[in-house]
Amino acid sequence: MNARDTTFALDPDLHQQAIEAACGRIAPSWPLDQLIAVNPYWGWVAQPAADAAAQLGVLQGTRLTLGRTFTRQAWRDGSLTRHHLALACAAAPGAADVPAEVERLVALLAADAAPEPLPEKLPLLADLALAPLHPTLTPAETVIHQISQHCAAFFDDGQAQWRPGPGDLWNNWRDALAMDRGLAWARGRTWLVPALANWPADASAAVAYGLARLPLAPDAWTGYLTALLLNVNGWASWCAYRLWQAKLEQRDDETLVQLLAIRLAWDVLLQEDLGLLAARPGWTAQWAAQADAASILHAAQGDDWLLQHAMELAHQHQLAQGIGRAVAVLVPRTPAIQAVFCIDVRSEVFRRALESADEGIATCGFAGFFGLPVAYSPAGSDLRRPQLPGLLSPALEVSEEGAGLAAVLRRRRQNFLHWRERWAAWRGAAGSGFSFVESCGPAYGLRLLARSVPGQKAPERWENTGLPNPGKPRLPATMDPTAAADLAAGILRAMGLSTGFASLVLLAGHGGHSDNNPQAASLDCGACGGQAGDVNARVLAALLNDAAVRDALADRGVQIAPGTHFVAGLHNTTTDELQLLDLDEVPAALAQSLDRLRAGLLKAGTVARQERAPGLGLPPAAPAEALLASVRRRANDWSQVRPEWGLVNNAAFIVAPRQRTKHLSLGGRAFLHDYDWRQDPDLSVLTLIMTAPMVVTNWINLQYHASTVDNRCYGSGNKLLHNVVGGRLGIFEGNGGDLRIGLPMQSLHDGQKWRHTPLRLSVFIEAPAQAIEQVMAAHRVVRDLAGNGWLHLLRIDPATGHSERWQQGGWHGL
Amino acid sequence: MQFLDTFHPAWPGAAALGAPLATALAAIACRPSMGGARAGQLARAAAAFALAAALLGLLAIALFGPANFRWLRFDLVGGLVLLLVAFIGWVIARFSRAYLEGEAHEARYARWLLATLTGATLVVVSNDLLLLAAAWWGTSLALQQLLLFYPGRPAAAMAAHKKLVLSRIADLCMLSACALLYAQTGNLRIDTLTDLAGGGPLALPVQAAVLLVALTALLKCAQLPFHGWLIQVMEAPTPVSALLHAGVVNLGGFVLLRLSGLVDQVPAAQLLLVAVGTTTAVAAALVMSTRISVKVSLAWSTCAQMGFMLMQCGLGLWKLALLHLLAHSLYKAHAFLGAGGIVRDTMVGKLARPAAQPGVAGRLLGAAGGLLIVAGAAWAWNISLAGQPALWVMGAILALALNPFLAVSRSGSWLLAWALAFGLAWLYFALHQLAGHWVLSTPTGGNALWLIPAIGFAALFVLQTALHARVLWTQRLYPWFYGGFFLDERVSRLLFRMSPPPTARKD
Repeated sequence: MNARDTTFALDPDLHQQAIEAACGRIAPSWPLDQLIAVNPYWGWVAQPAADAAAQLGVLQGTRLTLGRTFTRQAWRDGSLTRHHLALACAAAPGAADVPAEVERLVALLAADAAPEPLPEKLPLLADLALAPLHPTLTPAETVIHQISQHCAAFFDDGQAQWRPGPGDLWNNWRDALAMDRGLAWARGRTWLVPALANWPADASAAVAYGLARLPLAPDAWTGYLTALLLNVNGWASWCAYRLWQAKLEQRDDETLVQLLAIRLAWDVLLQEDLGLLAARPGWTAQWAAQADAASILHAAQGDDWLLQHAMELAHQHQLAQGIGRAVAVLVPRTPAIQAVFCIDVRSEVFRRALESADEGIATCGFAGFFGLPVAYSPAGSDLRRPQLPGLLSPALEVSEEGAGLAAVLRRRRQNFLHWRERWAAWRGAAGSGFSFVESCGPAYGLRLLARSVPGQKAPERWENTGLPNPGKPRLPATMDPTAAADLAAGILRAMGLSTGFASLVLLAGHGGHSDNNPQAASLDCGACGGQAGDVNARVLAALLNDAAVRDALADRGVQIAPGTHFVAGLHNTTTDELQLLDLDEVPAALAQSLDRLRAGLLKAGTVARQERAPGLGLPPAAPAEALLASVRRRANDWSQVRPEWGLVNNAAFIVAPRQRTKHLSLGGRAFLHDYDWRQDPDLSVLTLIMTAPMVVTNWINLQYHASTVDNRCYGSGNKLLHNVVGGRLGIFEGNGGDLRIGLPMQSLHDGQKWRHTPLRLSVFIEAPAQAIEQVMAAHRVVRDLAGNGWLHLLRIDPATGHSERWQQGGWHGL
Repeated sequence: MQFLDTFHPAWPGAAALGAPLATALAAIACRPSMGGARAGQLARAAAAFALAAALLGLLAIALFGPANFRWLRFDLVGGLVLLLVAFIGWVIARFSRAYLEGEAHEARYARWLLATLTGATLVVVSNDLLLLAAAWWGTSLALQQLLLFYPGRPAAAMAAHKKLVLSRIADLCMLSACALLYAQTGNLRIDTLTDLAGGGPLALPVQAAVLLVALTALLKCAQLPFHGWLIQVMEAPTPVSALLHAGVVNLGGFVLLRLSGLVDQVPAAQLLLVAVGTTTAVAAALVMSTRISVKVSLAWSTCAQMGFMLMQCGLGLWKLALLHLLAHSLYKAHAFLGAGGIVRDTMVGKLARPAAQPGVAGRLLGAAGGLLIVAGAAWAWNISLAGQPALWVMGAILALALNPFLAVSRSGSWLLAWALAFGLAWLYFALHQLAGHWVLSTPTGGNALWLIPAIGFAALFVLQTALHARVLWTQRLYPWFYGGFFLDERVSRLLFRMSPPPTARKD
């Protein structure tokens, strides 16, 4: 131990604080099979968005606001006006001369300038290195490449057959780097190997060791460590996901700190190998002045935020005007059929179509996991996956027919799966592939032919592999009846359905449909953890159809007439077909209602497809059957990189009775959650909505936002180059580089223009002001999101239908 | 006049010429100004026409026999490979329609796709070694444009440059071979060149020329240590990878097939092919099993499969080499284009409960069982392995390959496993027999080259068994295989010293 090493022993807390602060900045990113949307700025929501943007600009070189191409376009087509600019200027903290500000912005919008550059980040030491460490990569690229390849091998879950040896991420990395003979160190491997051996085996101690070898003052540490993690943000997000899962299960996970140690060690090793600081003495001062750099950037980004806000105000005005025009329907009339859909923006199009197809069908919006805190385990398998939002941890496990599945069927499935494994080894094992090709290769000619001509038939769900008809997913048969009734009562209350049930109630989950698409889960239901929502819909329908549960519900004040039946369905958002499930359980007496529902769904599907057709480049005027055939073929097309537009262009979340929005065409841009404040005296439902669905919609909205404003940092690039890592962990764009998170360009841009306009979510809630303020006061996350500008909170006045927005601690008219 | 110098009763086979003609004309007609959708339409039409022409040509060849002209040659082997390339081209053109929609340079893509197909099909129908070399060179140039479809990606530029340098070295080898042959014989007609092999030992310059052709094939088939570019070209759209891996990289094997009569006469060339091919097959297959991304894993697999094919060429197992070329292309095109399905496959795999894994004894027993099954399947097809050690080795490789089914473990039905393994071995020899109708195999009985793959694949089996048994020393080997033996870094440094990459890169 040299003299410098003793310094960190004196103030271990300072190191630990810096490590925790840096790690806390990283938002998690779920694996491809559960690809739910995440707000990538989640670690920053405790501070104002503009402050976070300035820091992220300095540390990562990213920006958070939409580009001038959007604002100039809006200005030209008249959707952005002087009025909106003035409102935005007036709303800015420390607003001075508003008219002068507006004129300045108008001049900016009129000018035809080049696209504004991204901010320049402070250099890491690897960015200063010039040596030919690697023959084809710069040192900065080499660092990312080496870390990324190492993490992929370490976390691999299904690709490689030969895996690295035991050990944790950090120590495994030290061994791997010491063995790497492809890198040309200036001082040679003879220097590197003992240098690496000197680092502590514990990751936190290693970070302290590394910091002690750099001339940075402690107040620069947090920023510097954050910048190091953001330099390998993809893998940092993966480690943060592991940490997130661990915390949901009350465990801990160290990999994020280990990744930090690895990235820090690279900087330190490069500095010691090449003497970078001697050549660039200003580096230390640059990092010491990081706060000043952030302030300068903050000031420079002022106009960007004004324009961002003005765009959002323009959208809010338009929406609020529409909402204000609602015709009040005071007497709730029991409809012939009720249909509950997910709050997803894609449901809005279908719901509107369904309501127009049959006036007797009423629709309602609720989180697509239907409030069930479940994990799903396909019968006769070891797989278990969450079927609920990423914020929550499953409390129950559902499976097909509980435990009643015949043992013989389970065995048959496992037998099939084991044969499949053997076949995979015959195809893919190092020694087998040659003979495999010479005997089975020609058959792939037929496969190529078949897949080149996609058909219309929907594929079997993969969860049924080896067990074609596994039966119906159900809650465990052992579940306590009281607990089941409590669960059902809570869900119905949250849905706002405790009385006035129609005789037939549809619970519609949703899922996407695409082939050969590694990010297919991003088109599925985010509330169901990036899965199709059929499992949840079927489980809840069965729960609510259970006679014993209904009796217990009656004791809890929820009266469901004996003739009422809940039927589950799955809305295919790619083809806008809605498949009804478990129809064998529908009582014969409801045959007519069922036919009526079917007819309505068919008609709604046609209307919804016609509405979406232009966006997909299909002729909306085509005959209904032809259009259906096209979207089905499109969904089955293995070369289709834009099977549907997902949640693109989402901009609003409306929490109100459907009457408020029923007369409006919201263009698939709004999440719709039904809520009646009069039925929520204790605000428990509003609290739930503002702490769960509102957070989920914020995650979705800012995922689309971040992937659009800076696809390089927070998007997954070009789908044409996508290369799946570790079987399911994530994506490389091309050969390697960092793991990519977020959405690909093909999900946001059609080649000619952006399909997503990055507007922060406008949340409209119909409730008394005091109710909303009360929830805000009680929940920090709501305060942070609404108060720090990560979303806009608006209130619909229940009496007048007028909207007002929450700003700087008060309500302001629009 | 030269073109139809002799009246040929089998001229209908020349219908196959429609394939390169259609793609060439369309490539010329394809202008960047014409718009992506139109260019794509043109490419699909041309690819469909080329496929039809190749089918028609093959049918005519099958009915009327081969047609050899001064410059062009339409025979069964050529017809089959032509059909393969045209089919892959058609699949890729169709795939690219939706895949590339909205890309900024769709027309440029269409043009160079068509040009690459033209080059590859021209190689296949050439009856003149110089024409073939020129077409091969052209293929490489056109492909270069596709590999650089995103010129702004530095990794794409690096890999493409590496390929460029190696390809030019290969072209130089090929041209030298042509010069030597022409100087010696005054003739570069491929069908008559092979006649040289008939009488006595080959002259030294001819032998040198054949050796140079073998070297060209090794370079163009991305054999170790010149494999790096093949692994690193995932910086171009997926269909470009499919085209490269299924329709272009295997041309080295095809050219050797064209000169099979000569290669059989040059032991040095055979030794080179068998040694490098076997080493690459075994080493690259093991490296593949350490890879962590689907496309890079597929690329290492191609590298290994090409090694296997070149090894078969060196052993004189020409019918197997042809079969390998065709079958591998179809498999790999599908694997690349469908690479996005891996997430679903992984999840299906996770439905399975861990099964009892066979132990070392179980695997050895399985290997012995495999030998029995392979011998039985060969017997069923009346294939005599007597006096054909090279064929024996192929049979033994098949026997070991069937180990995933035959290794004795406590789970699974062994009867079904044996039946399935026998079925696969039977299929193997069925295709082997079929390929025997297309090309004449001349397995080398006289030399001991078969020992090289015998040792190589035995070592591979031992290593795999040790890996399954988690023997400790295998973990010490891991970093070497994971790092690809650090060969590419060394070769890249050498190549870039010879020819620095075009863009001098700052920082």
